[in-house]
Order: sequence, then C-alpha cells, then structure tokens
Amino acid sequence: MKLTLGWFLLFSTLFNNGYGWSSEIFSESLKIAPLPDGRVSTTFSFNTVLEGALPRDPRSLTSQDASQHYVLFPLTLGQILREYAVTELHLSLNAGNWNYERWGYPEEKGVGTGAELLAWMGVEGSESVDDRWKGLRNALAGLFCASLGSLDEQRTTSPDRAFFPQGMLPDWSGNVTHQLRHASLPSEHVCTENLTPFLKLLPCKSLSGISSLLNPHRVFDADWHGMGVHVSWLGAAGVQVRLTFQSVMDPLRYSRNTSRNWSLRSLFGHGIERNCPAASSSVIEVTLPDSEHPSLTPQPQTSSGSKATYDVLTAEKTLDVAMQWQDGFQYPSILNNSLPVSVTRTLRGFTQASGKLSLVLKNRRSTPQELIYLETMPWFIQFYLHTLQTRIDGHLRDDIVSHMSYNAAVAHSRPTTFQAELRLPPNSVTQLTLDVDKAFLRYTEHPPDAQRGWDLPPAVLIPLNPADPINSNNSHTYNEYRLGEPIYTSTLLVDVATPDFSMPYNVIIFTCSLVAFIFGSVFNLLTRKFVVLHLDANQQNN
Amino acid sequence: MHLVAFLHVLGFLSSVWALNTSVVNDFFERNSAPGASKHTNNWAVLVCASRYWFNYRHMANALGMYRTVKRLGIPDSNIILMLADDASCNLRNKFPGSVYANPGRHLDLYGDNIEVDYRGYEVTVENFIRVLTGRVEPSVPRSKRLLSDERSNVFVYMTGHGGNEFLKFQDNEEISAFDIADAFEQMYQKKRYNEIFFMIDTCQANSMYSKFYSPNILATGSSKVGENSYSYANDNDIGVAVIDAFTHYILEYMEGINKTSQMSMQDLFNTYNPDKINSHPGVRSDLFRRPLDQALITDFFGGVAQAEVIPPIEDLGITDDAPPDLGDSLPAPEEATSLVKVSPSLFSHRPSDILSSSNVVDKKRTVQMWGGLCLVGGLAAWAFRKSASRRPNA
Repeated sequence: MKLTLGWFLLFSTLFNNGYGWSSEIFSESLKIAPLPDGRVSTTFSFNTVLEGALPRDPRSLTSQDASQHYVLFPLTLGQILREYAVTELHLSLNAGNWNYERWGYPEEKGVGTGAELLAWMGVEGSESVDDRWKGLRNALAGLFCASLGSLDEQRTTSPDRAFFPQGMLPDWSGNVTHQLRHASLPSEHVCTENLTPFLKLLPCKSLSGISSLLNPHRVFDADWHGMGVHVSWLGAAGVQVRLTFQSVMDPLRYSRNTSRNWSLRSLFGHGIERNCPAASSSVIEVTLPDSEHPSLTPQPQTSSGSKATYDVLTAEKTLDVAMQWQDGFQYPSILNNSLPVSVTRTLRGFTQASGKLSLVLKNRRSTPQELIYLETMPWFIQFYLHTLQTRIDGHLRDDIVSHMSYNAAVAHSRPTTFQAELRLPPNSVTQLTLDVDKAFLRYTEHPPDAQRGWDLPPAVLIPLNPADPINSNNSHTYNEYRLGEPIYTSTLLVDVATPDFSMPYNVIIFTCSLVAFIFGSVFNLLTRKFVVLHLDANQQNN
Repeated sequence: MHLVAFLHVLGFLSSVWALNTSVVNDFFERNSAPGASKHTNNWAVLVCASRYWFNYRHMANALGMYRTVKRLGIPDSNIILMLADDASCNLRNKFPGSVYANPGRHLDLYGDNIEVDYRGYEVTVENFIRVLTGRVEPSVPRSKRLLSDERSNVFVYMTGHGGNEFLKFQDNEEISAFDIADAFEQMYQKKRYNEIFFMIDTCQANSMYSKFYSPNILATGSSKVGENSYSYANDNDIGVAVIDAFTHYILEYMEGINKTSQMSMQDLFNTYNPDKINSHPGVRSDLFRRPLDQALITDFFGGVAQAEVIPPIEDLGITDDAPPDLGDSLPAPEEATSLVKVSPSLFSHRPSDILSSSNVVDKKRTVQMWGGLCLVGGLAAWAFRKSASRRPNA
C-alpha cells in the first residue's frame, strides 16, 4: 500500500507542469451520528486538493488551455471547470426533506430538495457569464446524468446576499470581479445513475476504502439522502474538490424490536475490507450521544469527548464499526435542538388564480435573531410586494423586514428573486404573508404530468450571528462573516390552472352523443308507427 | 477549353476519391465473409416513453435491453438510454435502487453501474429526433449525443403505449411512424449509420416501421395492426406487471447469446411464438440488403470489434528506399496495354465493383492512378499552352 502511495506521489511530482501545482492530496472521511429520533446520520466526504492550482482566468478562454494531467483529481470535472472558467461550484442533488426539527443542522449545508447548482465565475473575457453558465450546467448534466440542462434562464438567479463563496475568489491580477449564478430544480430525482458517475470521480471508485460502503441499494433506501460536489479555491493551498454523500438511515425500520443498534454492515451491507491506497487519510468519526452510553465495537483508536475516531488505514480489516445500546428505544417526548429558528412555509388559498405565501418563523431564544430571507420563485408565481404583511402574535408590525431587494419576474423568461433581512424579537412567532398570483401557462409549457402541479424551490433562511459592536456598520460585505448556516424550507407544490388536455376527445364525445340523441329520436319518429292498443280487459287480468 | 480541363480535373479528383474509399472498403472487408456486416462500431438508442409507476414494465423493457447490449459489449458511452420516469428510486418501489423484470426478482436490471442519459421530462419526441439526427445544441454533452458514422450499426429500441402509426411519449405527445421514417432518412443522408435494427414493443407496433423508406434498415415489432401487446407477468411484491411478453421472450433468448455467438437475426426471428407472446410479431427486411441468416445478432446487440492480426513489418519485405506501392506500380508490358482499356473507367467511379483479388485490384488501381495523372497533366499543359499562346492576342 505504501509503495502504491509512493508511486502516486512520484507521478504527481513528475506531472508538475505549467500550472505549478506540486501534488494532489486525497483524503476521505465518514461521520456517523445517532440522531435523537433513533435514526442515524452518515456523511461521506471525499476531499481532493490540487495544491498550488489556480482557477482559469476567464480572459484566457480564447487561447488554448494547457493540457491537464491529474493523478487523483477528477479529470472529467477538471475539464469542465477549466472549459468554462468556473472558480467556485456547488452542486447538490437531494431526495426528501431535511427535518431540521428532529435532526438539527446537517453536516453538509446544502440540503434543499432536488437539484441546486451554485457557481461563481469571473466576469471579464470574451465569453459572457451566462453563456458559460449554460455550458456548465449542460456539461454537469451530462457528467452526473441529471436534468440540469433544464436549469435555464427561467430558473437562474443571482442572490448575492444570501450566498457567499466558501473559498476565495482570485482576481488574476487584473481586478476581475465574479458573478454568482444560482438555480434549483426541486422536482429532480436522485438515483443510481447519479451515484455511478459520482463514484467514478473518486480515485478508488467504490472498490476500496470508505467509498466501498456506498452501495446504491442501501443508500437509496435511506429516509433522506443527498450528494454534493463542492469546488472551491483555497488560495495558495490550491483548488479543492469535495464530493459528499449524506444520508439519514433508520435502524429501527430494519430491526424486529425497538433496537436502534447499527453497524456498517447493517447500514451499508458490508464493512470496509480494503484500504484505498490513494488516500492520505481515511477516518471514520462517530458522534457519541450525550446522555446515554452505548458501546462501540471495535474499540475506537482515539476517543475525545463526544467523538470516537477510527483510522481506516491502520485499523484491522474487515472494519465493521457497530454501536449497541443496552435498552430498547423510547421515542423522546421533547426533541431539543440547537436551531435558532424554526420555519414553516406554506402556500395557501384554494383557487388556481391566486394564493397567499405564508412563512411562520419561531424564535425560541431569548435574544433577537436576525436572518436573511431568500425566496426564488419561477415566473408563474408572481409576488405582490405591497401586500407583504408581518404579524407578531397576531399584531401587525412593520419593523421586522428591512433591506429588501426584489427582482421582479419576467413572464416566460426570468424568475423572481426576493431577498430581505428579518429581525425576529425574542421568544416570538412571526408570520409573513405575501399575496401571489398564479399565471396562466401556455399549453406547451405544462409538464407531461401537469395535473401533479409544479414543485417550487425551497426558500433559504440564513441566521446572522450577532453583530460585532466595533464594526457594526451594516455593509453587505460585512454580512459575509456573520452568515450562519442556512436553513432550507420544504418545497411547495403549486396547482396552476391546467387546460383540459383531453378536450378534443370530450368535444367528440359530446357531439357524438348529441348527434346520436337527435338522430335516434328523429329516426324513431320517422320509422315507428304509433298505434293505440286496445287491451282486452280479460286478458289483462290474466 | 478551360471548362473541359476543369471537368477533367474534377473527374480525376473524384476518381481518386473513389479509389480512396475503395481502399477503405477493402481494408474493412479484407477478412469478412460476403454477407458479413461492414460496421466498425455499435450504438444503441433505448427509449422508454412511458411515465408513471404503473408503467414499470416499460422501464424494465428498456433496462433489460440496456443490460443485454451492455453485456454483449456496447459501452455506456455508445448507449443512449432514455427513461421517462424513475422506477428504481420511486417511493412506491419496495426495492430501492432496483428494477426487476421477472416475478421472482432474480436479476436486478438497475445494478450498481448505470448511466441514464435522458430522464424524466427530458424524454420528449423532440429530444429523441434530435438524438437520432444529431441536430443538437453545441453545449449538449457527448453522453447525450448519438455520435455515429457511416460505419455504425445502430440498434433502436422503443417501448411505451402506442397505436396505429404512433407511439405516445409520457401520455403527452406522440411520435408518428412518419417522423421516425424521416429521421432515419435524415440519418442516412448524413451518413449516420451503416445499418439500423429497429425494434418496438407497443400495441400495433408493426405499423411503426411500415413507413420506413431508407436503405439498410431491419425492423421488428411486437404486434400487428389491430392487435395489442401484452405484459408478461406480475410481481406481487412490486405490485405491477414487470415486463412485456415480446421483450421478455427476446431477452430470454438473448441470455443464451454471448459475444462470440454466430447466431443470426433469422434465428432470433424464428423464436417468435405468437401463442406465447399473445400477439403476432412482425419483421420487415425488404430494406435490409443482407440475408437475415447472415446478419449476426451481435452485429446489432454486441460491440464486437473485429481485430486483425497482421504479421510484423519486416516479414512483409518492405525496404526503406522503395515503398511497396511504388515498386508495384511500374507497369509491366501486358499491363501497359490494359492501360488504354482501363482509363475510360477512371471517370466512372464504382468502388465496390473492383473486387476480385486484392493483388490485381492494387495493380489496376496504380495503373489507373498513373494513367489518370498523365492524362490530366497532358490536358493541363495543353490548356495552359493554348491560353498562353492566346494571351498576346488579347
């Protein structure tokens, strides 16, 4: 194993060419945390760093790019990043609603239902950001077998107050600014065809190491699952690609009794049998619950506080981490969580022409809570901003919403973007309502299953950490450092007016019935002979 | 005069082109039997045009074909798989990540390694025709394109709900038999295939191939006009029918085929049994130019690359100073006499006709080349002299 790793390092130094990166480092980790409701959250993270690399300067797109030689870094993804000069990229494909109330914050933040794509790209250069964005989403659609090609301009927004890059943005010594593009597709399914190309990006595929646990038949049986691709530039450290896979599994569902014991074998079908030779580190980290003390087998190599860690590279194989509780599971009566606020978003109203968007925010803390609220809606849901009303415990208030920015939708071409800052009083329930109109779609704009309705993308709420009193001038750039972890609301299903797609057949049926009725009556009248029958009274009695 | 010279040059160029294509033809046909296929690569377009869970069997049909062509050697990069709905990760599926095509659930068609190129709302008539004809936007990735050429054998499989001369896509739009026929004609004109094998499993399926008019298409369908196609079996745990009868019996036969199989399409068609299938499958071979008993199943279902082992270069006796084709081209006396006979045929390019033994063909060709070169050179010199002599007068 060591020898193979040595070869990898040797090769990566041999291929040290024009970009000036010196090496590629691959590390993998798996975090397992039992959740209060008896489920188990697992988070895989595969991290490849291309040391010393710099994202492509968009001004160099016209000239030939130097050839790319990677050993561990995924080439197919690297080609896409350089072809479209993408500095930072976040793609997530999730299935199901992340239940913040029960599960708390996720390990990976992007848990909005369906597909979500975020990219920062340099503005300068011959090719516009929008052209490159289009190319990027098509290329990713091909790479990940997802319908990202339909994230067109009707779904693309630039919510630059809600999202900030995780890494750094280079300016290539020429004051190149960056622009954000964001789009989400809540109706996207996630299945094996998305996981297959995902695993192909890893140096060990799903053959060895932690990635061998990603068995599609088990992970897609999870109550919630999602995968993510995160590319960012870490400055001098280079370009980082982080591939993540999260799932929430339910051992109670598999067990015959109320036991929530789990093991790698029971969750994923098998343990880890081989090391991934390309990995410089390979760690399994188990979070131990605070109150109870379940037993862990095998004995963890290091255990500090509430974390127990296993080093897969040195651990004895087959590694099958298991957690066992002494007693059966009692569902907790109170689920306490660390969330600053809880959110419920609904679309009310029963007509197909209008409705009311309602957001209920509950601040459980005894301190005021500031939030950034982002709402992106397809154009066929039109907001009326003047109808925005804020109520606290039933009383109208006008000091809750501030710093609004609103990009109105353009029919058939651009979605709505609504960003605002909310200030929630302590221990309060705030209700925001907005009147919306549902547009009348063209016949051809309806999806094949139009009667099911349209999925609306989730809203995002980003709690702001308390302002630093020294630097409390509320500038937007400063907000970047105050942003907490985002909370994605659930998606909504909206019922827009659908035409009667079978109308031609109905017309035919109605007309035919009418013709048959008239013809039948007339035919009867013309051909029947109406005579008066005299019945014999005696016969009638018989 | 200039015009005549120009025409001669044109004729010469076209004959050189024809000779070059005949070189290519020779290369590919050197070791093949007379009725063998001339393809060098295989492509498959597999379409499940039905949405919704109760159409599970259509997903299973397409996935069964996907498994078969992949097993017989067509790589994922050459398979365009279109699935209109997600059966495997559907919430109604009791077996997540799996699609089964038999009641006992013995074989998982979804497996661990699958690439679905068009899925969900992307499976539309427009996208299907764009894939076939190659008229896609520049940004469409390679995995969503049919990058076939004139040496490609393309297998097109479609399944869904249909009727007389149409197939429904997602209960929303239809593709007609004329649309597919025209798309195939466009493919033929754009040299996007060598041969097409079209298979369709739907009600009144045989009507779907009745409008084809482009050459080298072999077609089969599950039922004749006025007849329904039926499903094969239910699985009680999945709760719906899992596969259609026609596809089931084809896949059952295919399980016995491997990459080196010499079974022909005729053998496949002979297995059709209307009593078992509950409908009358049809075959259309009038556009197909090879006898069906010489068209191998692996010509369409397999990605079989014919490898030719050639002896090492020193065995051929090639020396550096005299390349073999130049050495051969020195015309022997009896060939010099034939030069006169051969040269008229220079301007009628019939590549495939010059096929007797490769040695004679080689010699003939070089003689033609030299003859043509002399003729055109002479003509050009003469035309140049004529124009040069005329110029002072002008």
